[in-house]
Amino acid sequence: MAKKGGNIRVLVAKPGLDGHDRGAKVVARALTNAGMEVIYSGLHQTPEQIVQTALDEDVNAIGLSIHSGAHKTIFADVMALLREKSAADLIVFGGGSIPTRDWPYLSEIGVGRIFLPGTNTEEIVEYLITAVEA
Amino acid sequence: MERKSQESSENMAEIAQVEQEWIATTYGKEKERRQEFSTLSGLLVEPLYTPRHVAELDYLRDLGFPGQEPYLRGVHATMYRGRPWTHRQLAGYGPPEETNKRYKFLLNEGAGGINGVFDYPTLRGYDSNDPRAYADAGRGGVAIDTIEDMAALFDGIPIDTISCSLVTCQPICNISVQSMFFANALRRGVCLADLKGTSQNDFLMETAVTISPEVFPPWFSFKLSCDAIEFCTRNVRHWNPISFAGYNYREAGCNAIQEVGLVLSNALACSEEMLRRGLKIDDFAPRLSFFLSAQSDFFEEIAKYRAARRLWPRLLKERFSPEDERSLKFRFHVQTAGVALTAQQPLNNISRSAFHALSAVLGGAQSIHVDGYDEALCTPTELSSVTALRTQQILDLETRVTNTVDPLGGSYFVENLTDKLEREISRFINEIDSQGGIVEAVNSGFVHREISDSAYRYQLSIDSGDTPIVGLNCYKMHEETLPCEIFRIPETFAIQDAKLKRIKETRNSRVAEKALAEVGKSFETNGNMMDVIVQSVGALVSEGEIAETLKKCAGTWDPPLF
Repeated sequence: MAKKGGNIRVLVAKPGLDGHDRGAKVVARALTNAGMEVIYSGLHQTPEQIVQTALDEDVNAIGLSIHSGAHKTIFADVMALLREKSAADLIVFGGGSIPTRDWPYLSEIGVGRIFLPGTNTEEIVEYLITAVEA
Repeated sequence: MERKSQESSENMAEIAQVEQEWIATTYGKEKERRQEFSTLSGLLVEPLYTPRHVAELDYLRDLGFPGQEPYLRGVHATMYRGRPWTHRQLAGYGPPEETNKRYKFLLNEGAGGINGVFDYPTLRGYDSNDPRAYADAGRGGVAIDTIEDMAALFDGIPIDTISCSLVTCQPICNISVQSMFFANALRRGVCLADLKGTSQNDFLMETAVTISPEVFPPWFSFKLSCDAIEFCTRNVRHWNPISFAGYNYREAGCNAIQEVGLVLSNALACSEEMLRRGLKIDDFAPRLSFFLSAQSDFFEEIAKYRAARRLWPRLLKERFSPEDERSLKFRFHVQTAGVALTAQQPLNNISRSAFHALSAVLGGAQSIHVDGYDEALCTPTELSSVTALRTQQILDLETRVTNTVDPLGGSYFVENLTDKLEREISRFINEIDSQGGIVEAVNSGFVHREISDSAYRYQLSIDSGDTPIVGLNCYKMHEETLPCEIFRIPETFAIQDAKLKRIKETRNSRVAEKALAEVGKSFETNGNMMDVIVQSVGALVSEGEIAETLKKCAGTWDPPLF
């Protein structure tokens, strides 16, 4: 795969106590192989830790992987913290067991694309390149 | 024993020759729709299997009869002609009073046993009102903080007669939650020796599969797991104190070969530790149990179960010389693969799970959970749970695949694939042995890399379309109306928080402090932690308090992330 994602920095994070990290790791690896700089947070990150890491690492985008069903709470908390830190322009995207009927709410609070399990990783790469360029 | 082949060698040569002609003249005339046909784990599959492919098989040596060595055809003689596999559907969400209702519902609808999952905070050793748990209390399973929650969870459930599987996943959870189950049983006047059930209690879960940033060092996680095995061996004879969680390694990304290789390596390490502690192999081996996935490659899964069943007794005899035949039985529970199910067109998952369950039945599983069709979307609703249970009942009662034991035995393909898988699994176990055993293979990150690499390769094969998934990378529907409700977890945090505050205010704080101090003392003296924690939970100490104490004692580990 051509390394076309250069200069894009992404934090892939696992918020809350959900332990399903297969998708997050696969996405982190795919984005790295596409040439992006990826920071993978590991499990059990609080929204505060995620936002702090994102700022410290000066990322362009944060990807949250949530399979616990706690997505509405967690995304809302992360978006609120980003606004507090005047970093609301950061791209926030996500993946996991997030039913489509919850996507409008997430969109309203400023979250970008949500990717369901098994999504073609190329699609995620393209999305980030387009979103960061915009 | 003289080797007798099914066909004489002249006949075999003739078959091989006709086969060559057939490939050249008949088969070769038609196109194949793939370059290569392989199993999910990458083993090549040929167009056709004939006696030539099982020429080395000796029926009595290699297949034999069910219920005796080599156990290939089944761990019990009658298998499902005697009784069906246990229909053991998972249940768990919200506060314990809510899950208690779902347990009763499933038992009423014909489930054969309890299969209890615990919420993310409980699995990690956090109380429901721990700041870290705020978004997750009641999610992924039931919230258990103290022995009072355990009492509510099993209220009105006859734990002296029904077998209860506690999916405690990992030692940090198991050491407290299983202790609470036993202590609650004693309070109810049930003898520990009468309890039947299983705990997961697998150290690989917390050190290699889903690793917390505050994880125990592998040696301590392994010790806690073995403490529970030893406790049960001495006190809870009918309990399976460990269920080596191959299903979860598989869900994390490894393939069929690695799945069985890892569970068997783990089981060998536990056995060595038990022997080091002075137990005899036959004291505990009969109660070591296994937990495997049923993934989408139908025949590979069937061959996998059979290969495991023949390999485990072979390994035990080579290394430990058991005398009791019950030590040799590879008994396993199957869960149909969650990762194979899609969020898109979720009703398709009913078919998928039915095929998965069928492979488990044809593979001789002792108990099965079938995933709900909403697996990729939410915690199962009552409807998806009962539909999954009905899948089991239909398989059992309508298909008549249970009319005979090991119906696929003797299939040229299945026997050839079984042999192949057994060889590959052995090779993987030898690889782990060469690393110094499973605990070392975890310390070094070997296990993590194996799982991670397999997971990535699998996704690449989906990306390329080489592994088609209907609705995901083919036959997609661009507009879908979700045909099912999304389960909402009932309020849990507030309820559990209130309970915990009340308990901590009203319990005897001196007794509680002493109980926690005993936990620390047991660590100092290298005692059996379950011996002391089964006592401690009676003082109304919480799981979080116990886990904190253990973390202070053992410290934490800096694990590999990939």
